[in-house]
Amino acid sequence: MNEPAIFFEDVNERQGGFLRRTFLLGGFTALGMTALVTRLGYLQLVENNRYKQLSQHNQFNYRIVQPPRGVIKDRNGVVLAGNRASFRVLVVRDETKDLDGTLNMVAELLPATALKRRQLIAEINESPRFVPVAVATDLNWDDFARVNLHATDLPGVVADMNESRFYPFSGAFAHVIGYVAKISDDDVKKIKATHNGDVDPMLLSPGFRIGKQGIEKAFDKELRGVPGGQKVEVDARGKVVGEDRAGDKPPTPGSDIVLTLDADVQNKALEVFGDDSGAAVMIDCRNGDILCLLSAPSFDANAFVSGVPGPAYKAWSGYDHKPLLDKALNGLFPAGSTFKTMVSLAMLEMGMSEHTTHTCNQAWQFGNHVFHCDKAHGTLDLHRAIVTSCDIYFFQTAVAVGPERITAMARRFGINEVFPEIHIAQSKGTLPDPEWKQRVYHQPWYAGETPSLGIGQGALQVNPLQLAVMCSRIANGNVALRPRLVKSVGGQELPRGDEAPPLNLSPQYLQIVRAAMAGVTSEPGGTATGKLDLSLGDIKCAGKTGTAQSHSGKTAHGAQGAWNLRDHAWFIAFAPEDKPIYAMAVLVEHGGFGADASAPKVREIMRAALIKDPEIKARLGGVIPPDTKAGKPTPPAEPDAPVEDSTPGQTAALTTPTKAGAA
Amino acid sequence: MTVSALTRPGQRDRISEKLGEIDWRLAALLAFVAGVGGMMLYSIAGGHWAPWASAQLTRFFLLFGVMIVLSLIDLKVWYSLSYPIYIVALVLLVATAAVGQTHLGGKRWLGVGHFTIQPSEIMKIGLVMALGRFYHSLTAKQARWSWKLLIPAAMIGAPVLLVAKQPDLGTAIMLAVTGGVMMFMAGLTWKVLVAGFVTVSAAAVPVYMFLLKGFQKSRIDVFLHPDRDPSGKGYHVIQAAIAAGSGGLLGKGYMLGSQSQLNYLPEKQTDFIFATVAEEFGFVGCFILLLAYGMIVAAGLRIASTSHSHFGRMAAAGVTAAFGFYVLINGAMVIGLAPVVGVPMPLMSYGGTVMVTVMVGMGLVQAVRVHRYSELPRGRGFLF
Repeated sequence: MNEPAIFFEDVNERQGGFLRRTFLLGGFTALGMTALVTRLGYLQLVENNRYKQLSQHNQFNYRIVQPPRGVIKDRNGVVLAGNRASFRVLVVRDETKDLDGTLNMVAELLPATALKRRQLIAEINESPRFVPVAVATDLNWDDFARVNLHATDLPGVVADMNESRFYPFSGAFAHVIGYVAKISDDDVKKIKATHNGDVDPMLLSPGFRIGKQGIEKAFDKELRGVPGGQKVEVDARGKVVGEDRAGDKPPTPGSDIVLTLDADVQNKALEVFGDDSGAAVMIDCRNGDILCLLSAPSFDANAFVSGVPGPAYKAWSGYDHKPLLDKALNGLFPAGSTFKTMVSLAMLEMGMSEHTTHTCNQAWQFGNHVFHCDKAHGTLDLHRAIVTSCDIYFFQTAVAVGPERITAMARRFGINEVFPEIHIAQSKGTLPDPEWKQRVYHQPWYAGETPSLGIGQGALQVNPLQLAVMCSRIANGNVALRPRLVKSVGGQELPRGDEAPPLNLSPQYLQIVRAAMAGVTSEPGGTATGKLDLSLGDIKCAGKTGTAQSHSGKTAHGAQGAWNLRDHAWFIAFAPEDKPIYAMAVLVEHGGFGADASAPKVREIMRAALIKDPEIKARLGGVIPPDTKAGKPTPPAEPDAPVEDSTPGQTAALTTPTKAGAA
Repeated sequence: MTVSALTRPGQRDRISEKLGEIDWRLAALLAFVAGVGGMMLYSIAGGHWAPWASAQLTRFFLLFGVMIVLSLIDLKVWYSLSYPIYIVALVLLVATAAVGQTHLGGKRWLGVGHFTIQPSEIMKIGLVMALGRFYHSLTAKQARWSWKLLIPAAMIGAPVLLVAKQPDLGTAIMLAVTGGVMMFMAGLTWKVLVAGFVTVSAAAVPVYMFLLKGFQKSRIDVFLHPDRDPSGKGYHVIQAAIAAGSGGLLGKGYMLGSQSQLNYLPEKQTDFIFATVAEEFGFVGCFILLLAYGMIVAAGLRIASTSHSHFGRMAAAGVTAAFGFYVLINGAMVIGLAPVVGVPMPLMSYGGTVMVTVMVGMGLVQAVRVHRYSELPRGRGFLF
């Protein structure tokens, strides 16, 4: 282009002025462009890092990936608390055209959501418009499939799957295992208070469930695991559009917990309780493992996972059999005649002979008060006094021994103790003696209180676990056995119950008591004679009955009168009597006379445990005799026992010791 | 190409000769910018021609042809059509105010059969042509300062007020700036320029307080303090700044801009398309693009300066100045140097109307170039 831009012959004032202004305009444009480039340079080069972070903050989110909650199993690996797929339906407000119409259609598909409508609308309105809100949870496959089928006609309705806690044996373990439920604001506050304000962000995610009771609560942190993170790419509306696998942090699953419980025994216990109220605790008296820790009646722990509907909760909390109370740990009752074992040991250790005799005329005057016995037992020694459970013998023995020695002995056997090994809250109860009376009531001990203590009445209060521990220590004889409920956490075994200090009591004294307990179930005049035949050949069960007065008014007595005024029926037992393996305590609340209400339950539970024990199987030569004394008459060809015996695994277990013996 | 080839009578009208006189470098720059626009629209749609890129590029090719045809039209014809077009546009603006269609809160469109036309766009060309014609008949002295300047002031003022009333603040500002720049180019005295600048600055506050509508006011508030309402009205400004700033020196890569691809950037295909360029191609990409725009402005001004007719000079300069202001205002808005006004990035922002205006305007510029030696008579009748 070599043509000149300006033709001088055309130059006039107007054109010259225009050209000058053109240069100015060009210069002005260049200035503007320079300003743009400068600003861009500032944004893109100087501030680049800041904006890069803001952009990434926009683009990526960390989503908490919840770890699977640890599984709780029984001693044989049977799952007591597990996780199952659960389906839920969510509504995204932003994607629905008409929230009311959508909820109407959902309610048509899932009638249950209609009930909570007001609450749902409030919840949806509180959430950001693009955040899905669950309108129905814990749906079964049919409901899920129904919603999914119609999902295309329901804009903004999404059905998805997550994991929820499931308790296969809903009632039998409800008190021990407890349950998980939605974390509450109070829970968060409590956790904040105990962890210096640090809260696992997983806990704050909506609908997160934590252990609220029992083992679920005690080991919540271990069961919970550590959440992972998933790096996801989200668009401006919060919709996930991609994942960044490299940025993922996998969650650490919660630890599995193995309990010492035996699901078969526990289930048997719940079954034999039927409609009765009470508790059963069984301890392996070789090592302290708890095989059974039952409180009856029970409730459905699964209901708490999704939230108990008001009417159900009212029914449970209003029922006089108190299904929500864990009676095995928190039910407090007088020990009744089972406590006579403690009085006996205190007497023997004091140096009094087992041959010391007292005479029972059904009444005995002490001071200006007359104490009664249920019948005139005549003159008896310690053995017969335990067998017949003569109150007058133990009134006099208690007076002779004194309250301090009795309570000291009871303490050595676990009475009035809270066992940290259980990890679940327990009620301590009351062990009355002069020191206690002074401390609590600022009053002296009256002499008249000692005879009551001798028969386990008065102010004495124990829980079933304490009596089971007492019985297990009597049966073990060597160490102050500790109960163990949790066998291992995350594969890490917890200390065994027999790693305990010695009992420091003459085996001879214990043998005297054990022999008398054997007499209770076998000798003429024994309070449970004929009521505890295990039908297992020479394997016998020893025990001690107890009838605890529940009411001083005496409008009801024994098994008569209104249910809630009747006496409580106790039974402590161990078997086999010659070489104890299992010890237990059974309480039937307002059950009336001990042997009648509780002995049949002891028999069933004890038998269920014994026939599974390899030592017993070996002793029986591998053949479990048919249960001839079962509550219901059973035909000889009852399939249960033979089938169970012929399973290959069990046959092997049975034959191995025999072979070893032969070799 | 020599000068004599076109000055010789009989040769001037030969189409092949005229085609050779077209500023093909300018045409190539326009095609480059429109091509980048199409590319960005393809990226924003997540790697799809639909819905924007194919429509926009098709439109550009058609209008490129229109520009070539327009560039062949003799400057005399343009000159004689100046007032008629202006008057038609003005009548249409009045009609729009009376019976126009309301869309997105503004009365800007006029329905004609199946078509809707935006008279304010016709006015952009009409105003430039009419002012060019008016100044063509004015002496330098009159253009400096005389009572006759009341006429161009009225010619500018009437459409600006009508468009501002629609309300379309962006277009009104563009019309006012274009008209003002043309008066400046024609030689308006500096005294008036300074006085006008002072008056406009002083008027800004009362205009802001009393005349602007709520959303117009809030745009200016957001420009001044975008962080006050980050998820509301400040959202555009903040997200555009994040998009541009996170691009860095070389950008995140084509089709890899998270701000644009994940919808964080609002109006990414129209007013904020420059932010996507900044995000995906970085500082270097923006620099090259702005350089191309700068070269278009330079080419336009060069064509203006070589025209023998004052009408040609004024018209080419007016179109070029308007084009340059579009780029500057849109760029400044996207990177937070100016408040958000609805001014598109010419040839890149998706939309047919603006592209028609730009390419018709460029057809006029090219016509000035092709007929730069035309000597137009002064002060002839209304049409010729």
